[in-house]
Amino acid sequence: MLNYKFLSALSVGLCVVSLSMAQNPEISPARKQAIDSLALEKVRDLSKYISIIGNKKTPFSEATRVMDRAEELFAPDSEMGVSSLNRKEINYYKVRKYFERLMALNYDKVTISWYDIHYISDLERQPDGRYVGVVTIYQRFEGTSDDGLKYKDTTKKDITIYVEKKKTQIQGRTIEFWDVMLGDIRVSETSA
Amino acid sequence: MIQVIRNSPRFIMLALLVVLMAVGGGCKSKKKAAEAEAAAEKAKMEQEAAALRKQQEEDRKKREAEEEAAKKAAAADANKKGPQAKLEEYFTSISNSSNEASANSSINEALSLFASSDTPVLIVIHESGGQKDYDKPTTIKNYLYYLKDQKKQADKIGNLQFDNSGKITEVELVKQN
Repeated sequence: MLNYKFLSALSVGLCVVSLSMAQNPEISPARKQAIDSLALEKVRDLSKYISIIGNKKTPFSEATRVMDRAEELFAPDSEMGVSSLNRKEINYYKVRKYFERLMALNYDKVTISWYDIHYISDLERQPDGRYVGVVTIYQRFEGTSDDGLKYKDTTKKDITIYVEKKKTQIQGRTIEFWDVMLGDIRVSETSA
Repeated sequence: MIQVIRNSPRFIMLALLVVLMAVGGGCKSKKKAAEAEAAAEKAKMEQEAAALRKQQEEDRKKREAEEEAAKKAAAADANKKGPQAKLEEYFTSISNSSNEASANSSINEALSLFASSDTPVLIVIHESGGQKDYDKPTTIKNYLYYLKDQKKQADKIGNLQFDNSGKITEVELVKQN
């Protein structure tokens, strides 16, 4: 009787472990490194898109096209934090709205650059199967008007990164891919 | 008796005639044999020459067939390599383009290599044990504009698939880390 109970418990235990392993497959360090790099590349891509959208020399049609591409990098409803040395509060906008405001900034010349892009929280697997991490960037903003007025600041921003394995059909074949999506971008520091 | 014979001019003439006939007959048969031998040799040589010509003709035809096959294979190879080399050039041209018009022109030219501007582009980010990890699939049009916007070096071309008219129907790129 005792043996039967023990074997039953062991069977149930093994089933739970195997189910758990099936749902939580370990990935090799090399594979993880490739995914980490892919996510950082998406952040760098966003950096470039932002500089194009903000650039006053970019034609409207081009800026609109680039906004579409930049928006595709984000998870739905993601927000971008905007700070200023002239106010205390931080405003948050949906990314599309942020891009539109960026394009319409009342300067004659705008330069935006991101640097020191790195993980502050590694991608970790969540119970829902997604990987979530946080990347920090520093943004240097300079806006200049023809009358000589100039505003510049440096903002430290934290970007939540979501990575999820998905499947799609390509020419009749099922392709599994890593979908990297950027989440909210929160301002953590602003300095001159 | 011998003396009589020796002194008889008739006998001498007769003997001489017999000797001459004997010698003449021998020469004739030798000549005929030589002629027959020469004819046989000539026929043999002609046969050999004909066989050689036939062999040479067969060799020529075989060589021509091989050259033609090699030419066709090279043409087929060029057809496959050609678009890849051209695509690599377009990638570089778009990434390094200094102005929008030039980049757009290269994008439009590059798109002519494809069956559709929506041709799928798969980007391998990691491969191990035959298992490939991909970035989110995109289209060739989006990828070309991506190169234009980001001005970064294109990923390495891993594989191209073609339709019957030689247009590219799928691109596999390999990310270089």
